Amino acid sequence: MPSINLPSLFRTKRLKRHPWLALLFPLFILYLVYIIFIKEDSTMLGLDGKPISQYKFAHEREGTFYFPFTKNFKMPKYSYKKKKSWSFLNNHVPDIIPEGHIAHYDLNKLVSSANALENKEHVLILTPLQSFDEKYWENLLNLSYPRDLIELGFMVPNTKKGDQILKQLENAVKNVQGIDKKLGSNKFAKITILRQKDSGFHKFNDRKDKKEMNDIELEKEKRAEMALARNELLSSTLSHSTAWILWLDSNVIETPNTLIQDMTQHDKPVLATNVYMKDSNDKDKANIRPYDFRNWIESDTALQLASEMPEDEIIVEGMAGLATNRQLMTNFYESDGSPTEELALDGIGAACTLVKSEVHRDGAMFPNFPFYHLIESEGFAKMAKRLTYEVVGLPNYLVFVR
Amino acid sequence: MEHIKRFKLKHTLISPTTISIAGTLLTLYFLSKFLFSISPSIANIITFPITLISIIFSPSSSTISESSSTSIFLNPYVPNFRNNPGVEFYDLANYQGNKDGWQKNDRILFCVPLRDAAEHLPMFFDHLNKMSYPHNSIDLSFLVSDSSDDTMGVLLSNLQNAQSQQDKSKRFGNIEIFEKDFGQVIGQSFSDRHGFAAQGPRRKLMARARNWLGSVAIKPYHSWVYWRDVDVETIPRTIMEDLMHHDKDVIVPNVWRPLPDWLGNIQPYDLNSWKESEGGLQLADTLGEDDVIVEGYPEYATWRSHLAYMRDPNGNPEDEMELDGIGGVSILAKAKVFRTGSHFPAFSFEKHAETEAFGKLSRKMNYNVIGLPHYVIWHIYEPSKEDLKHMAWMAEEEKRKLEEEKLEEFYDKIWEIGFDDVREDWETERDSILKNIDFKGSENDIFVDWSDDPENENNDKANKANSNQNAKNGQGNGEGASGDNPGQAQYPKEVPLEFDPDKN
Repeated sequence: MPSINLPSLFRTKRLKRHPWLALLFPLFILYLVYIIFIKEDSTMLGLDGKPISQYKFAHEREGTFYFPFTKNFKMPKYSYKKKKSWSFLNNHVPDIIPEGHIAHYDLNKLVSSANALENKEHVLILTPLQSFDEKYWENLLNLSYPRDLIELGFMVPNTKKGDQILKQLENAVKNVQGIDKKLGSNKFAKITILRQKDSGFHKFNDRKDKKEMNDIELEKEKRAEMALARNELLSSTLSHSTAWILWLDSNVIETPNTLIQDMTQHDKPVLATNVYMKDSNDKDKANIRPYDFRNWIESDTALQLASEMPEDEIIVEGMAGLATNRQLMTNFYESDGSPTEELALDGIGAACTLVKSEVHRDGAMFPNFPFYHLIESEGFAKMAKRLTYEVVGLPNYLVFVR
Repeated sequence: MEHIKRFKLKHTLISPTTISIAGTLLTLYFLSKFLFSISPSIANIITFPITLISIIFSPSSSTISESSSTSIFLNPYVPNFRNNPGVEFYDLANYQGNKDGWQKNDRILFCVPLRDAAEHLPMFFDHLNKMSYPHNSIDLSFLVSDSSDDTMGVLLSNLQNAQSQQDKSKRFGNIEIFEKDFGQVIGQSFSDRHGFAAQGPRRKLMARARNWLGSVAIKPYHSWVYWRDVDVETIPRTIMEDLMHHDKDVIVPNVWRPLPDWLGNIQPYDLNSWKESEGGLQLADTLGEDDVIVEGYPEYATWRSHLAYMRDPNGNPEDEMELDGIGGVSILAKAKVFRTGSHFPAFSFEKHAETEAFGKLSRKMNYNVIGLPHYVIWHIYEPSKEDLKHMAWMAEEEKRKLEEEKLEEFYDKIWEIGFDDVREDWETERDSILKNIDFKGSENDIFVDWSDDPENENNDKANKANSNQNAKNGQGNGEGASGDNPGQAQYPKEVPLEFDPDKN
C-alpha cells in the first residue's frame, strides 16, 4: 500500500500548481480549532463581555419606552415602484371607482316597511347563476315593482360553463339596459356582475369531482361553496340605499309578477316562499310537486340527533339515513288556502326568500361551516334567529322552478 | 501561416458561446418572470400542453372531463359594458390581495367606527397624512354613531383639509361617511366602558356597528380591509406595508399604552388578542348560550396566552404568532375574508362577540389569523376613575407639602424668639439631681447564707422579709434603706460624689 508522506504530496500535480495551499490549509484548521474551543462567546445574553451588573434594559439603552422595535432588527425597506402586470394575459377590467369625493349617507333614514312601494324602498335581487335560463330572465323582467328601485346582482364561477352563462347574461342585460339613446326605457337602477376566483359552486357538477365522497359529504361541500358564493355576492353589492334583499335562484322560472309587493307587505325580517316544480310535460296547473325541502320547523328528534353528532357534521333534509322528523313547509301547502298565511320556521331555503337589509347588515350571513349542525341557508336562518330576528314562511304562496 | 492566423478566432470575452449562453439565460429569466406574474394560470399553462398531448394520444372521456373541470383559462371571457350605464362587471380573482400591494395598486378600505371622537380626530388625521402607503389607493369609510359632541363637524373639516391639499398624490380615494345610531346606553368614560357587567351587551352593540360599516363600505374592487380605532397615539408610518408583507389573511400588531411613571411607565393594553387554551374551552362549556367571555377581568379566568404579554422589547418585529381571538385596534385583513362572510358576530359565537369572535370565525372558515408580538403600536392613556382620584390626591399632597414647608420655616423662626432652649442645661442638671438617688444600694444589702445550719435558716427568713421591705421603701428616698434593718444589709451611709447613675 503506498504510504502518503508530505514530500509525495508535493509530487502530485495540484499542490505543485498551488503550493500556498500547504500553508493555508493548516492555518484554516488552527483557526477553526480556536473558534470552536478557545474563543469565549461573549455575545450571549447580549452582554458583550461586560459584567451583568452593567446590563441595561432596552428602554434604558434607547432612552424611551415607546419604540416600535429595537436597533437589533431592521424592518425591510419598501420599494414604491409600480409593478406592471402582463395585462394582456391578465383579465383585468379597469375598476369603476367613483371620483375621489366625499359622500355622506344617513343610514338612520333607511327603512324597510310594509309599504315598500309607496316609500320607494330599494330592493336588491341576488342570484348565483348555476345556469342561464331564458324563462328566469323573462320572469324577472315581468316583475311589476318599478325597475328604477331594483338593483340586480349576479355571480358567475370561473369555469367554461360560467363563461357561457356570462355571455348569455351579457346579451340579455344589454337588451334591457341599452345605450343612453334609449331615453325613457325601463332600466334597472344598477346591475352588478361578479366572477368568482375559482370554480365555486360549479365545482361538483361533473361526476369526476364527486368520486370519493359519500352523499352527505358531497352535500356539505356543495352547500359550502354555494354559501361562499352568496356571501361574496351579498357583501359586494349591498349599498347604502338597499332596504330589502331578494334571494332568487337561477332555476326559478315562474313567480307572480307582484312578488315583491306581496312579500314586503308582510313586513317580516326573513320571509321564505314555498317552492314547487311543475311537471314539464303537463300543462295542467294541478300537477305540481314540492321542490325545496329546506323550509322546515325544528323537531325534537332533530335536536336530539344534533346533540349526539360531532361538531363538524351537518343535518340536511332529504338524506337517506337521517330521519329528522322535521315538519316541512311543503306539507303545509293547501291549494285553497290563503296565500298570505304565515308560518313560523326554523330553517329556510334561499330559492326565493326576502330578507330585510338590517338582518344582513347586523351580520347574518350564510355559514360555509357547520353552524349548530346547519349550513348555508338553514344556517343563515339560525344566525338570524340568534340575532333575535323572526323567520317566517308562506306555505300557500307558490313559486315554480324548472 | 499568415492566412491561418488571420482567420483564427480571438479568445476574447465576447465569444459566440458566451453570447449564446447569455441569451438563453436572459430568455429563461424573462420567461419565468412572465409566467410567475400570471401565477394563477401557471399550473394551467404547464398542464395545458400535457393535457393536449394526453387528449391526442389517449382519447378517453375521463381525461377530457377532467380538463374541463380544472379551468384551463388563459383568458376567461370579459364582457364589455362600456356603453351600458349602471352595469358593472368585476372579476374577483383580481382582488385577492398581494403581499406587495403598494406596488400593485391594491386598494385598501380603511374602516373607522367613531363615537364621541372629536378630541381624537386631529391626532388620527395627523397619522393618516403621514402614512406611506399610496394615498390614492386608500378608500376611507367612517361610521358616526351616538355622538354627543361634534364628531361629524370635526370629521368633515379634517377630510376637506386632507382632500384639498396641494399635493394630489397625498389625497385619498373614495371617502364615505355613514351615520347610524344604535342607542348606546353605556357611557363613554374609561370606567364606564371597562366595567365588567357592561362588557357583554357593549361588545355586541359594537359588533353591530362594525358590521353595518363593513357590509356597506366594502366594494368588489377592494383587496384589503383595514380596521382602525381612532384613539391610537403612536404608530409607524409604514404600518400598512409592515402588516401587508406578511401575506396573511388576518393580522394584528401588539397594542400597549404608555402610563405615568407612578403607574409603571408602560402597560399591555389590548388583551383581546390571544391563543385559545384548555382553560378557556372549559370555561366556555360552563357558560350559557348568550354569555360572552371577556379578557382582563378576574371573574373570567381563562389562562390564555395573550399576544400582549408575549412582547419582548428586544424581539424581532417580524415574528408571527397564531391567534384565535384578536383585538380591534388595528386589524389588516384581506378583503376576501370579509367578502366570503366573516364578520364581527353580534351574538355570542363560541361564547365571544365582536373582534374576538371575528378571529374565531375566520379560523373556522380556514383563514389564517396571526399577530405580531414584538411589533407594538401605542394606544392613548385615558385615566380611569381611580387614576383620576389618585392624581387629585397627588395634587393635594403637593399642596400640603408646600404648606408644611412654609409652616416649618415659620416655626423655626418663632422658636428662636419665643422659646428658651434649656436642653443643655438639663443635661448637666440631670446628673446632679439623679446622683442622690440610690439605684444600686439595695442590691448590696442582700446576703444569702447557703449553709445548712438551722440557726442560720431563721436568719435567712428574716433577711428575705427585710429585703422586701427595703425594696418597698427603697428608691427615691434619699436615705436608702434606713438603718433600722437588723439584717446583714450593709450599705454605705453616703453615696460618693463620683457616683454615676448611668454607669458611664
